[in-house]
Amino acid sequence: MRHLRYLLAAIAIAVLPLVAPNPYLVTLAQDVAIVAMGAIGLNILLGLSGQLSLGQAGFVGLAAYATGLLATKYQWPLWATLPVSLAVCAVAGGLMGLVALRTRTHYLAMVTLAFGYIFEVVAQRWVTVTGGAMGLLGVPQLNFGSFVNGSQYFFWVLGGALLLVQMLSDYVMDSRIGRGLHAIKESESFAATVGVDAAAWRCLVFVASAVVAGLSGYFFAHQSGYLGSDAFGLERNTALLIAVVIGGLGSAYGPILGALALIGLNQFTAQFYEVSYFIFGAILLLVMTVFPGGIAGLLKTVRDFLFRRASVGTRPQVKPWKETEPQPLAAHGSTEPVLELEDVTKRYAGVVAIDSVSLRVDAGTVHALIGPNGAGKSTLINAITGLGLADSGRIRFCGADISALKPHRRARLGLARTFQNLQLIASLTVAENVMLGLPRRHGPVAGLLRWLASGRDAAEERAEALQLLAAVGIEHLADEMPAGLPYGHRKLCELARALAQKPTLLLLDEPIAGLNEQEAAEVGARILSMKARGMTILLVEHNMGFVMRVSDHVTVIDYGRKIGEGTPEQVQRDPAVIAAYLGDAQ
Amino acid sequence: MQMTDLAQVILGGVALGSIYTLMGKGLLVTYLTTRALNFGQGDFLMIGSFMAMALMLAGVPVYLMVPIVLIAMAGLGYALERVAIRPLERLPAGAASALAWILTTMGFGMLLQNTAQLVWGKSRYYSPQLFAGEKGEVMSLWGVRFYMEELLVAAIALSVVAVLYWMLFRTRWGKHVAVVSFDKGTAQLLGINVRRVVVSSYLMMAGLAGISGILAGPLTSVNSHMGIMFLLKGFAAVCIGGFSNPLGVLIAGLGFGIVEALSGFLDSSYGDVYPFLIAFVILIVRPTGLFGESHTQVR
Repeated sequence: MRHLRYLLAAIAIAVLPLVAPNPYLVTLAQDVAIVAMGAIGLNILLGLSGQLSLGQAGFVGLAAYATGLLATKYQWPLWATLPVSLAVCAVAGGLMGLVALRTRTHYLAMVTLAFGYIFEVVAQRWVTVTGGAMGLLGVPQLNFGSFVNGSQYFFWVLGGALLLVQMLSDYVMDSRIGRGLHAIKESESFAATVGVDAAAWRCLVFVASAVVAGLSGYFFAHQSGYLGSDAFGLERNTALLIAVVIGGLGSAYGPILGALALIGLNQFTAQFYEVSYFIFGAILLLVMTVFPGGIAGLLKTVRDFLFRRASVGTRPQVKPWKETEPQPLAAHGSTEPVLELEDVTKRYAGVVAIDSVSLRVDAGTVHALIGPNGAGKSTLINAITGLGLADSGRIRFCGADISALKPHRRARLGLARTFQNLQLIASLTVAENVMLGLPRRHGPVAGLLRWLASGRDAAEERAEALQLLAAVGIEHLADEMPAGLPYGHRKLCELARALAQKPTLLLLDEPIAGLNEQEAAEVGARILSMKARGMTILLVEHNMGFVMRVSDHVTVIDYGRKIGEGTPEQVQRDPAVIAAYLGDAQ
Repeated sequence: MQMTDLAQVILGGVALGSIYTLMGKGLLVTYLTTRALNFGQGDFLMIGSFMAMALMLAGVPVYLMVPIVLIAMAGLGYALERVAIRPLERLPAGAASALAWILTTMGFGMLLQNTAQLVWGKSRYYSPQLFAGEKGEVMSLWGVRFYMEELLVAAIALSVVAVLYWMLFRTRWGKHVAVVSFDKGTAQLLGINVRRVVVSSYLMMAGLAGISGILAGPLTSVNSHMGIMFLLKGFAAVCIGGFSNPLGVLIAGLGFGIVEALSGFLDSSYGDVYPFLIAFVILIVRPTGLFGESHTQVR
């Protein structure tokens, strides 16, 4: 299916200049491809990772001037200027990505806008180098020495490059990279708990979008042989943004559709030159308020409407849940505790939330952490998973000190958790949310190659997610969006995702709060079966009956201090615990 | 450079800087109520400038011109809230909706810009002076000569800022804005008409942009694409000043204007770039502005 699509696209690119009735159409197609390329970069950046750049034209211009100057002033061949100009963009994009780590949302919009503005002004005024608005003349065209057929050859190269970029973008969207970016967009701290290094990804996405923008700049520079500073101003930034939005923000084919629409509109508005801003302004307003999904979203609605009946009943069969092999624990034997806390203390502006708590969770046990509201249980869970670093004390996981590790590193070591306030990614389906938890099978390059070769990897990941969903009894909801599910089902979805991480230690933060009795009993049974398979579980829960039923060991904390510990029976009889829960009799 | 020159340059910077402050305040007031900045606010300013110029050229006295412009601007502010902000409430969370306001307000601004182009074309105009009879009218103070117009523009803009502070911190309306900014649901439970507060903030934004436009016209030239630079500089002022600190915008706006005036005086070819470079660096070093919270926003 996918290969067929690419093949058809390749044929279309090959044939178009041959059948085009006039050369002008080929030039237009080149314009579409150049805009589409820049838009794909912005689409990944904004649509997937949620970072708005209003300075993409700066990257386009950077590459265009790099290649233009090298080719004119230093007579470099065009194959040599390509890597250099892309490298320049990668460095600039990386710097911008580092900035983006510190500034978010509208601050980031401001910084990128300022970058674009500064670039434009410098390009305009540094006339000795850039030629300013008069332009850099005599930039060689990418025509392989043929004046007659050059435009056609150029289109082939450009179209091929666009196809490659589109394939890369498809891979990003299809794969765990895209899901990770969705997670980052909605909550960076959550993304870390499934092992995603949010900072690195956000930065890399900026580099990628800058390089893709740079590629479009490279082609722009060698399209007409003329480079004027006006081409890299606010207009191009707006154009890219409009293309992405009209096409459908975050959708795979949005940028190409948007670029087609934009260039088409430009042709159309050329006659209505006077009111072109009316047309574009109205489009921005209408698209965002009436169909925020853009053209791609509209097409999808139409398709769903036409083919809805056909898709019913073709839901893939779910295989019965296979008991997977227990994850091997630490190499030095299972007598070692899985988790060990030593005098962990956490303060919030003077309030001591956890006061030197020590704790030991043995392998293959269910360990419950209980305490009245505000006792510090969630703070402790956060300290263990790394979302809130402890101020002092040591945390050891399978013998290794993880006190200073970032949350995503801890997650990769085999620490998974569920949340008291559910953290499901609203823009992903239930199955995709579970797939977020699956560990990486291949590196990005190997993953790309396998993806190119076949769709088997994605199918395998999906099958595994479906199995996990079947294990918690909600496989029939796999293709729903989480927002539409009842609370209990969302909770089970989160549990399935945590299981997908194949954790050594699973932290459950109030796993049955809000569930009905039957669902709670199912979760209890699931916990015991996970224990039987060798998983270690640390549980925070208020429901005492539940805690006493499933746990082997109970730790009680109150006011941030450990006040009791032992088997469920011992804890139930502990006077200090009774006092904390029921109030002191005296 | 002579000291008297320096004082003149700085006064020019203060005059423009106080307009940037007004623009920044306009951005801030809608941010408080709807977490959206009007990316077309520069075009609001441009419309204000053109209207003021046209009315004054038609012989309307300034004291009549100002209310007419402000009423028209309020209409625009209401329209913006109606067509570009309110419909976004219906969008599903996530996906495009988080930044949709950037695009809708930008689109609205483009409509204004095109309207101005149809009426006045793309050429530059020089607006008549508001107060002084002619551009060159000066006033001597301790041997330093100031342009009257700049002095009065700065004084008026700063008084408007002062009035806005009073409204935000001393009136019931200001308290309502603060509550809506904290949480819309809570505000409703407290019996506050959230819709009315939101609309009023857009009227306020439009009014501030209108005043900025009236004041900016005589200081610079008026043209249909003048808005973007004022928007950028107002935006820079809010970002540097920090969204959480009320005085920050004032300091940052004036600072931006003064730095711009000085760098334009010292380097005529790249003078307008330096303030942005400085803003760029400040935001990298202090991501939430000079006076904002020192930690980055963690969701």
